[in-house]
Amino acid sequence: MKYMLMMNATKANFDWYAKWPKEDLKANFAFMRAFSKELKDSGAFVATEGLAWPDKAVIVRAGSDGTPITDGVFPESKEFLAGYWIVDVESPEEAYRIAARASAAPAPAGTEGTMPIEVRQIMSGPPEEFS
Amino acid sequence: MKFILMMGMNTSKESMSKGIMSWPKQDIEAHIGFMIGFSKELKEAGELVSAEGLAWPNEAKLVRASKDGTPITDGVFPESKEFLIGYWIIDVENAERAYQVAARASAAPGPGGAPLNMPIEVRQVMSGPPEEIQ
Repeated sequence: MKYMLMMNATKANFDWYAKWPKEDLKANFAFMRAFSKELKDSGAFVATEGLAWPDKAVIVRAGSDGTPITDGVFPESKEFLAGYWIVDVESPEEAYRIAARASAAPAPAGTEGTMPIEVRQIMSGPPEEFS
Repeated sequence: MKFILMMGMNTSKESMSKGIMSWPKQDIEAHIGFMIGFSKELKEAGELVSAEGLAWPNEAKLVRASKDGTPITDGVFPESKEFLIGYWIIDVENAERAYQVAARASAAPGPGGAPLNMPIEVRQVMSGPPEEIQ
């Protein structure tokens, strides 16, 4: 079973992250690198990506002639995907355990709580009745 | 340059009532047929890196580590939240090409075969952490 583990954040969260002291950022990246390596070693790893910051996000819609109409205005409350892992595991519980490890990634001293990780299964294809 | 093209789904009652599962079966089939053809086309053009569809938002869980590191799971989300429902990652020459591809996805057929013109969020995929932190 493949699961996607998503880090979502608002622009305010990103602004806070951008202000982390350099040593805290380094500790966080070191954790993320080791975490990915561990997932690879255990065979659970499928993919991981980090996305550009939300100020680089663009919404695209097709115009009536099919050409792209781009827009960069988002509601303040919108949660942007910051990055994700895809893991291939035996059960949802295993996906949750892995997500909890990511959730506990190091943050600056005094940070309250741990990072929420959204977990959802990845579908292998459309529902059977349509495939 | 790698870009991610994201399809979202809002779980507000209004959006859900117009959701794909409320469409006539032949419209759903036409939509899925378009998506399969679209992926095939991107593959043939050498632009497709990966594409995935996610389980419905009602299966989403929010996971946090408790003090001892064990997972605390929560399935309660705000009533009107936007969830990622699927994405493509493409490798293209520039942002304009990524927007063109996104516009094609945006115009996927909806009820009655009319183009949905749905919003597709496009963002570059980073190859690693910023240089100064490596």
